[in-house]
Amino acid sequence: MARITNYQYKINDIGVFSKLTNSYALVADGGSTSFYRAFENELSKRIPVIHTSIAGCRIIGTLCVGNKNGLLVPNSTYDTELQHIKSALPDSVEVKRVEEKLSALGNVIVCNDYMALVHPDLDRETEEIIADTLKVEVFRQTIAGSVLVGTCSVLNNQGGLFHPKTSVVDLEELSSLLQIPLTVGTVNRGNRLIGTGLVVNDWRAFSGRNSEWKEIDVIKSTFKLNESHSPTASDSLRARLIESLT
Amino acid sequence: MSLYNFKKIAVVPTAKDFIDIILSKTQRKTPTVVHKQYKITRIRNFYTRKVKFSQQSFHDRLTQILTEFPKLDEVHPFYADLMNVLYDKDHYKLALGQLNTARHLIDNVAKDYVRLLKYGDSLYRCKQLKRAALGRMATIMKRQGSNLAYLEQVRQHLARLPSIDPYTRTIIICGFPNVGKSSFINKITRADVEVQPYAFTTKSLYVGHTDFKYLRWQVIDTPGILDHPLEDRNVIEMQAITALAHLRSCILYFMDLSEQCGHNLEEQVKLFESIKPLFSNKPLIVVANKTDIVTLNELPKEKREILKVFEDDPDLPVIEMSTVSDHGVMEVKTEACEKLLSFRVDQKMRTKKVDGILNRLHVALPKPRDNKERPPVIPPNILAKKQKLAEKQKRKLERDIEVEMGDDYVLDLKKSYADIPEEERWDVIPEFWEGHNIADYIDPEIFAKLEELEKEEEIRESTGMYVVPKIELDQTMKEIRELALQIRHKKVILKDEARVNKQNKKPVMPRTAGAKVKDRLVSKLRKDMENLGVDMSNTKSAHFTKTKQTSRVMGTPAKKFRMDVSKETQEKMRNKLRAIVKPSRNDMGVKDVVMKKKLARIAHRAIAKKVTKYGLKGEADRFIGTKMPKHLYSGKRGSGKTDRR
Repeated sequence: MARITNYQYKINDIGVFSKLTNSYALVADGGSTSFYRAFENELSKRIPVIHTSIAGCRIIGTLCVGNKNGLLVPNSTYDTELQHIKSALPDSVEVKRVEEKLSALGNVIVCNDYMALVHPDLDRETEEIIADTLKVEVFRQTIAGSVLVGTCSVLNNQGGLFHPKTSVVDLEELSSLLQIPLTVGTVNRGNRLIGTGLVVNDWRAFSGRNSEWKEIDVIKSTFKLNESHSPTASDSLRARLIESLT
Repeated sequence: MSLYNFKKIAVVPTAKDFIDIILSKTQRKTPTVVHKQYKITRIRNFYTRKVKFSQQSFHDRLTQILTEFPKLDEVHPFYADLMNVLYDKDHYKLALGQLNTARHLIDNVAKDYVRLLKYGDSLYRCKQLKRAALGRMATIMKRQGSNLAYLEQVRQHLARLPSIDPYTRTIIICGFPNVGKSSFINKITRADVEVQPYAFTTKSLYVGHTDFKYLRWQVIDTPGILDHPLEDRNVIEMQAITALAHLRSCILYFMDLSEQCGHNLEEQVKLFESIKPLFSNKPLIVVANKTDIVTLNELPKEKREILKVFEDDPDLPVIEMSTVSDHGVMEVKTEACEKLLSFRVDQKMRTKKVDGILNRLHVALPKPRDNKERPPVIPPNILAKKQKLAEKQKRKLERDIEVEMGDDYVLDLKKSYADIPEEERWDVIPEFWEGHNIADYIDPEIFAKLEELEKEEEIRESTGMYVVPKIELDQTMKEIRELALQIRHKKVILKDEARVNKQNKKPVMPRTAGAKVKDRLVSKLRKDMENLGVDMSNTKSAHFTKTKQTSRVMGTPAKKFRMDVSKETQEKMRNKLRAIVKPSRNDMGVKDVVMKKKLARIAHRAIAKKVTKYGLKGEADRFIGTKMPKHLYSGKRGSGKTDRR
């Protein structure tokens, strides 16, 4: 159920140019329609797919953050854009503009429908807005020594994929915080910044065209997009991998 | 593997060769012409150069040898020990050390003579100094003769050593001679070690590789070891000991339950105990081999007691195996690999290196911290689709049936023939029936057609089409019929007889044989018939008297010459003539004059046709245009080219 797509010629960072949640999808204005088509084709039967820019930029995935309950956009969003988004979204989704110094909200916040990890330096007011609008529990965290939690991880309600430098201890801690199974991985042939190359919701995932099948397999099993749940490779081949990799 | 590759060491020449190589190199690579009227500095330079050049050549060559041979202190202790066992460490070190000294001596000789050459005041003197210098270098090298020979032998042996990687996953097989070590390595790898029914067939280490869990495993076959103190061990046994001592590996201790190897179980256990220190900190498995002869359970009680030592130890698995019947071979391999793998992984887990990988293999599962439900949000129809797919995969597969039925399982190909009713589905259909391929006669509409035919038949029957009308026969008709039947039978018999007789080989009359006229004379016939009692009086003009003339007599007979010869000679000549007369080939098979003429005409026409077609002069014209065509006769002849060009 994972779908490989690329935005424009040789751009695989689809996480930068799109936002996917359980109740809507945003895709960047301008650029190729084939990218838009991919989303429309897979999703438009169930949820609205909205074509928009934010603050005149195409990097909407980096700039905004949202889940099925709401959408947060940075302060620099034009009124017209906000109006467009509001009218296109269903009524159940609350859209809010956030006055925040760290305006690339997509980079500093990662969330699913119940939990959110945020940049440690985020304003207290912003944190409250996140909790209210998105209806989530908010935790200030860093991932693998990086404060850009949105870039280094991707979550849905059934699992999470993290930066490959994240240690086992951190993973365990985050897992019990978020109450979902977590693992590490890469996208787009070894890109460690998961958030840039991957968007997921609970039943669909889109990853950059460069992604290998192994990466896609990890994505599928992590986010439980498979039809059947196969046991993870680490069970049977763990010893073998440790032996051959060191 | 590249870590220890001794195959690339350059050949070490003998002392004589060594000197020859260097001197001829000097001769080749330095100027050779000098005259006494040259300026003395030039002459000195000329000879200094020679001395320096040969010194440098010696130096380089010796340095090459010294660097290429492995240093015992630098190689892995396994190789160091193995080389000590095989080549004697002291001897090896001494040889290399002496070569090193020789190199220094040569350097010093060259230095001295270069200094002396500065004082040479004539060509002659310089030349003598050069000669002395090269001579002394050669002498030094000559003294290294035995060392060089030894090193060459070492080099040759090293090159043939198996390439054992001391750091990789290794399984070592050890035990008494002749317990089946080599048979086992041949079973699990492709090492192809020689197996013979006598002790010490394997005289050195052999390496094979096998695959398990997508990894490459190195299996080492060692020579058999006997139970005696270390000092008494010979070179062959010491190789095994070296491998056991230095390689981090899984060890398979082979035992021969049948005691056919010539050592009873007690001795085998004793050997195990005495070399046990070598097994410390290594995974170890005892393999009870040759179970095709006697298994563990079949052993008598007192022997079983001996093995109690192993069975009491929980960390020491004893596995039964037979390399003859292949029983247990795979179990031994699997067990050894699993044990070694877990051992190595355990060790690696203690190092720091593994941290970077562990987190990649880890899936962090949450510990529930509150009772809140956080269900995924999936549209219902997608969820339904997912469940459907999952159910689909739960279908009972052929494999499941096989597991259920065990050995009784047979793949049933016909159960999916849903069109055929149950009771007919498994009927056997032959491929051929009475020489006909059944498939050719398969007609999908056969049942419909059959039904139609049956209907037609029914109609016919009901209308009385098949009722046979009664025919009344009178007496004469009956007789005629009987007679006809007899005739028919007779005919058939005759026909059969004729067919049989046809096959018997009658002599075939050759065409050239003359007719045996005498046997068929009219008079003879008449006489024979009269003898038989036939009345032949009125047969003057009977048909058989009108014999046909022989074919040879064509046309009117030529007029006979009258000659004055006596009757006797005439008679003789007639006999002679009769003997000569034989048809010419021209006339053979020709019936009469008409036919002959016709044949002549046909032949003439055929010839005329050929002549006009090829533009010949006549029947005898066999003109060949070019007798020696250029392309067949021109050009130089190479070897073996006379007949075919």
